[in-house]
Amino acid sequence: MPWQTQDFAADSGPTRYRESPLALGLRRILRKRSSRVALFVLGVIVLVGLLAPLVAPYNPAAQPDIVGLKDLPPSFAHPFGTDPYSRDVLSRVIYGARLSLMIGVLATIVSLTVGVAYGAISGYAGGILDAVMMRLLDACLSIPRLLLLIGVLVAWPNFSIGALVVFLGLTGWFGLSRIVRGQVLALKHAEFITAAQALGASRRRILWRHLLPNLVSPIVVAATLGVAHVIVLEAGLSYLGIGVPPPLASWGNIIHDGSDQGATLWWMALFPGLFMVLTVMTLNILAEAMSDAYERR
Amino acid sequence: MLRFVAQRLAQAAVIVAIVAVITFTLIHLAPGDPFSAVMDNPNVSEAVRQTLRVQYGLDRPLPEQFARYVSSLAHGDLGWSYSYERTVREVLGTALPNTLLLMGVALVGSFTLGILIALIQVARRGSVTDHALSGISLLLFSMPDFWFAILSLLAFTYWLPIFPVGGVVDPVMHEYLGLWGRIVDRLRHLALPAITLTVLASAAVARYQRAALLDVLPADYIRTARLKGLTERQILRRHALRNALLPIISLIGLSFPALLTGAFFVEKIFAYQGMGYAVVSAIGTRDYPLVMGGVIIGSIMVTLGSLLADLLYALADPRLRGR
Repeated sequence: MPWQTQDFAADSGPTRYRESPLALGLRRILRKRSSRVALFVLGVIVLVGLLAPLVAPYNPAAQPDIVGLKDLPPSFAHPFGTDPYSRDVLSRVIYGARLSLMIGVLATIVSLTVGVAYGAISGYAGGILDAVMMRLLDACLSIPRLLLLIGVLVAWPNFSIGALVVFLGLTGWFGLSRIVRGQVLALKHAEFITAAQALGASRRRILWRHLLPNLVSPIVVAATLGVAHVIVLEAGLSYLGIGVPPPLASWGNIIHDGSDQGATLWWMALFPGLFMVLTVMTLNILAEAMSDAYERR
Repeated sequence: MLRFVAQRLAQAAVIVAIVAVITFTLIHLAPGDPFSAVMDNPNVSEAVRQTLRVQYGLDRPLPEQFARYVSSLAHGDLGWSYSYERTVREVLGTALPNTLLLMGVALVGSFTLGILIALIQVARRGSVTDHALSGISLLLFSMPDFWFAILSLLAFTYWLPIFPVGGVVDPVMHEYLGLWGRIVDRLRHLALPAITLTVLASAAVARYQRAALLDVLPADYIRTARLKGLTERQILRRHALRNALLPIISLIGLSFPALLTGAFFVEKIFAYQGMGYAVVSAIGTRDYPLVMGGVIIGSIMVTLGSLLADLLYALADPRLRGR
C-alpha cells in the first residue's frame, strides 16, 4: 500500500525525526481504551514476571512434602493448588511468566534480525537473487513451524534454553521477511530514495538510513505478533516434553507436569493457560491497534 | 490458465525438493546416526553397527546418500519405525485417513462457521452482538490449541460426560457392531475432536472475513445496490459476500499449516489415532524416522494445500480465468 508509506513518510518528516516512529505509534495507540487496558494487563504480567522472586509466595522448585502436600486443589495456602511434586503452582506460574516472556522476546529479536536483513536484501537486490531467495522462503514457509521444531528438537535431545531460543527465532522470520521485502520493493523507487541515490549515498547507507526507518511500523506489528506466537509455540513444545527442560517452570511445562492426570489435576492446566491466553490476547490487541494506528483507518 | 497451472506445479515441485534438502540436512546434522538411538544397548557390538551402517549406505559420500534419500522418498520409502516395528509408510498410511477426515471436517466446518459469524457481525456492525462476537473470536484466536483441547476434553468427557473419552472407535465394542453401528461409533468418536478443531480454526476465518467484508462495503457497486433499493441482507449476500469470497480461497491455503498443527495437538489430547498422534508418540520413544516422516508428509500436505487453493483461486477469479 503505497499511500500508507507516503502518509507515514509525511508524518515523520523528510527532515529529522522530531518524534521517533515508536513514540508516535504509542501515542496513537493509547487513544483507544481497549489498547490502554491491554497495555496495562500486559504491563502487570511483565512486572510480575520481572519481580518473580518478590511476588511468588514459595520457591518454585521446592518440594516441601512430596507425600502430604502433593496434588492439592486450590486453597488459601495454595491459590492455584500444588503439583505431583508438591510444588506450589502459583509460584511456578509466576516464574513461568518470567521464562515464557523472556523466551518470547529473545526469540523474536533473533527472528527480527534475520528476517529484516533477508527481506531487505532480497527486495533491494531484485533480479535472480530475489527470485532464488523467495523460492527458498516459500519452501521454508511450507514446512509447518511446529513440525520443523519437533524434528530439530527430537534430533538434538537435551537442548539448552539458549539453543531453544535460537531455534524458535530461526524458524520465525519467514513471514516477516516477506513483509519487509514487499515494503522495500514499494519504497525502492520512492522519490526520497532516488534523491539519496542522486546525492551519492552508498547502498548500505540507503538501506540503513532511508529504507529501514520507514519499515518500523510493519516490523513492530510483526514483532508483537511474533512474541505471542513464540509464547504459544514454546508452551506447545514444553507440553509435548521437548521444550524447556523439566525442573524449570514455563507455562507449557506446568501443564505438561499435570497432563498424566489431566482429569483430576485440572488446576494445573487451567491457571497457566489463563495467563498464557491473557498475554497472547493483549499482544494481539496491541498489534491490531498498532497496525490500525499506522494505517489510520 | 494452462501456463499458470504449469508454473504453479513447477513451483510446488521446487518447494518439495527444497523441503527434501532441508530434512536431509537436519537428519545429517543430528548427532550420531539413526542407529545410535536404537542401539544404546551395549550388547550390540560395534561390528554389528558397522554392518548396519554399510547396509543402509551411511558409509557412502554425502551426495550419493542424498541421491539415495531422494530416490527412496520418491518411491514412498520413509524408513523403518522402531517403536511401531513397521515401515513409516505403513504407520503413516493407516493414520493419514483419520487425520484427513478430521482436518476435512474441521476445514469445511470452520469456514462455514467463520463466514457465518462474519456475516452476522457485518450485518449488525457496531452493535453489541458485533462487539461480543469480535471479543469471542479474539479470545479463541489467542488460545493455544492444546490448551483449548485439554479444556474441551475436561469439560465434555469428564465433567459433562457427553462424548467418549478418546480413540477413533470404541476399542472393545467396535468389532461387534453392524455397519450402521460402526459408522455411528466412528462419528461419536470424531465429534469432539472435530468440533474442537473447528471452533479453534473458525476464529481466524471470522476475523479475516469480517475485515474482508468491511473492506468491500465502501465500494461503488455496494452503493449502487443500496440505491437500487436492495435490502441490507441482499446486498451482503449477493454483492459483498461474493466479492469477499476470493480472499477466503487464499485463506484456505494459508490456514493449512495452522490446521495441521492444530490437528496434531487435538489428536494427541483426544488419543485420536491419526498422523499427529503417531508423530507425537514417536517423540516420546525417540523414533526419529517416524518423526521425520511426519515432517515430510506434513510439508507435502501444506504445499499441496496451497497449490490447490491457488488453482481454485485462478478458477474462481474471472480475471485470471481468461489467461
